This record gives sequence, C-alpha cells and structure tokens, in this order.
Amino acid sequence: MGMLNLIIANVSKKPATRLYPFEIRAPFKEFKGRIIFDPANCIYCGICQKKCPPDAIKVTKAEKTWELNVFRCIMCTECVGGCPKDCITISNERPKTGAKEYIKNVAPATPK
Amino acid sequence: MTTVIPFGPQHPVLPEPVSLKLELDNDVVIGALPSLGYVHRGLEKFIDTKDYNQTTYICERICGICSALHGITYTMAVEKLFDVEIPERAMYIRVIVGELNRVHSHLLWLGLFADGFGFESLFYECWKYREAVLDVLEKITGNRVIHSISKVGGASKDLTKEHIDLILKMLDTVESQVKDLEKVFINNYTVKQRTVGLATMSKQLAYEAGTVGPTLRGSGVHSDLREEADWDIYKDLGFKAVVEKDGDCYSRTKVRVFELYESIKLIRNAISKLPNGEIATPIKGSPTGEAIMRTEQPRGEVVYYVKGNGTKNLERLKIRTPTFANIPSLLLTLPGIKLADVPIVVLTIDPCISCTER
Repeated sequence: MGMLNLIIANVSKKPATRLYPFEIRAPFKEFKGRIIFDPANCIYCGICQKKCPPDAIKVTKAEKTWELNVFRCIMCTECVGGCPKDCITISNERPKTGAKEYIKNVAPATPK
Repeated sequence: MTTVIPFGPQHPVLPEPVSLKLELDNDVVIGALPSLGYVHRGLEKFIDTKDYNQTTYICERICGICSALHGITYTMAVEKLFDVEIPERAMYIRVIVGELNRVHSHLLWLGLFADGFGFESLFYECWKYREAVLDVLEKITGNRVIHSISKVGGASKDLTKEHIDLILKMLDTVESQVKDLEKVFINNYTVKQRTVGLATMSKQLAYEAGTVGPTLRGSGVHSDLREEADWDIYKDLGFKAVVEKDGDCYSRTKVRVFELYESIKLIRNAISKLPNGEIATPIKGSPTGEAIMRTEQPRGEVVYYVKGNGTKNLERLKIRTPTFANIPSLLLTLPGIKLADVPIVVLTIDPCISCTER
C-alpha cells in the first residue's frame, strides 16, 4: 500500500514545482552564472586564453582587447583561478535572456 | 513467418537514441540487431587539440548523468601517469560527490523504469526526490549536472562546514523518501507483475556476456569495483557490494534500490572521516607512458586508458563505458520476450547511449 499513501499525502501538499515566470528561485551562492571581467588591472598576458577549454576567450596584447564568447563559455572557472591579477570573477547571476554573443573589452588608448 | 520491427532510435521509453531491429514471431522476440552511432561526437579524437587539464572537462561531458565519475576516473588515470599522491581530503571529496552523483543517477533510473511500465505517479515521485540531490550538488559545486569537482592533482573545490550540513540534512530526508520508494518497488503488485521472472540471466550467462555493474550484480556475481584494488578508500568507508541472486528485472531493480542506501551510508561515513588539509597538489610537466584506470559508475565499470607522449596533449584516450559492455547481454536475454516487455528489458541495463558512443 506504499504508493497509495504517497498519493494521498501528495493531494494535501503544495505542488513540488514552481510557477516559473512568476515565481523565480534566487540563484544559489556558489552557482556559476557568468564571467565578469574587470579591465582595470589586466596586463593582457593571455593566460586565460591558454587555459580556456572551449577557446571562448581571445586576448590580443598589441591592441589590448579581451573578448569572451558567452555562448561557448562552459563556466569551468579555469580562467578565474588562472588569472594572475584577479581580473576575472564569477557571478551567481545568469546572463540575461537575449544577451549578446560576445563581450568585448577594448582598453582606452593611453597617451604616450 | 517473422516480422522485423524497428525499436528506436526514437522511442518513448528511450531517453537517448539507440536502434534495435526486433525479429518477431507473432509477438515474441526471436532475435535483435542493435545499431549504434546516432550520437557519436568523436570526443576521443577531439582531445588531440586540448591539453590534459582541459580534457577533464571534455570527459565530464561524455555523459550528463554520470558526469562526476567520468571526470574523477580520467583525473585518476592521469595522476597514475604522473605517479603522484593526491591529498586525502581530495579523495574524500571525490567520493562524496561521486556517491551523490550515484544517488541522483539511480533515482533517475528508477523513475524512468517506472515510466517504462506505465507507472507515471511513481516516476514523478522518484524525480521529485532526485531534485533535492541535484540542488545540493548545485550548492556545493556550482553546477547542477556537470560538477567539475575533480581536477588533475586533487579537487577543484573544497567542502565547507555549511556544505556538509546541507548534505547531511538532505541525506536524512532522501533516506526516508527512499524507504517509501523501496516499499513500492519491492512490494507493489503492479511492479512485481511486470518484472518478476522477466529476462532472467543466469550467473554463468551474465559473467560470460561480460556484463558489468548492477546488471551483473543482479545475477548473483559479487563484483563491484569499489571493493577492489583501484579505489582503496572504499575499504576504509565500510563499503559492501549489493548482490541479488535471481537475475531477472526485479532483482536488477532491487540492486539499484539497495545501492541507494549503500551510497547514503558511504557519504555519511566519508563526511565523518573527512580529513583536514590541502585539497590539491600542484602538478607540473607533461605526462608520459600509459595508464589504465577502472572505477564503478552508477551503470557499472568504466575503463579509461590514457597514453602520454611527453607533450601537454595526450596521445590517446580510450574509454570503455558500462553500457557498451551491457548491450551483448541485452541481445542474449531479448529472445523469448514479448514485444510489450521489450521496453522494460531494455531499461534494466540502464542504457546510457551518449556514454557508449562518446
């Protein structure tokens, strides 16, 4: 009679699912949501590009650009751990729906 | 007169595509011809372009259900190439995440199996309980399915006190829920009618067909890699393999239900013995030589063969997955089964086709 008890118990309980678009669960603290790049300290060494398993990051030292392909990124956090200047962090928020495929960061030209 | 009926590649009970051409005499199967290759991704070749650290992430993506154990087995194989001892804490963390992975995999299978014979409410019940395990895995590793807990040289994330409390709390509820499920799977009239005496495989046949995992243990063969030499850690945790004698679909189901308790016990023991210290040793250089690593996945024994050639990229990676070993036994047990029972028999080997085809 195990199953009948379960079914009767379920009738009196709330549904196990959420009404998704109206009821959104907050992301967990440890959740790997998206990569955030802070260009302030970046030395454009390219270690993140070398470590990245899906080749989602492209860094050019000459032009000082840092580019991430959001659609290729697998949130492995190899770049976060590998960055010598701690420029890359991971946030627990997902990219917004309709996010652009590339996040490109070009350093402003500094006067010589 | 015989009729040939295609079972799959698209079939309601199959989560992944595999095609079986069933030769029927009236509605009794007299032969089956499998054809694989619908989800082949060429991952064993793909690793040519990645270094040995990056390959961990590829190996984890071989399968969406037993992902943790694929990653763990691969990293252990590469550690054999480097001949390094990894910190004990990392080993324990691997065991905890690996066993949590097994709990969710078995709950998933029990649900799919219940769905296979039309027991929909039991299916939803199993998957509801599985969700709690997945939530905890997401909280401790950061991802729901691909956990990336293991890296070459140790573990990639530490378990904090908070995480341990979460796991223990979840285990208490899941254990009581599994007890409810056990009553249904073991005693329920419907389940018994559909599974007892179906597709019986003798001990001899199971051994000779080369089956692995719960399929083999369901036929009375005492073989679990967690008890054997490759993973010494399980001996300290008091692991005992679950073996059932009958060899039919019912006893294979029983093995998986009782393995849930065994996994829960292992996680509790691992947490109580969790040593302090480092979680990873730094590894430098490039691997050379060959190594073989075998571990027990939810579906059975997985074999990883790795060969290094002194560069960052491995020269060869060969994976023998449990479903690949279980398919011959399926073909041997199908003759004599009625067409209506074929989905249940196919499901009892717990087919994971993405693993098989890599």
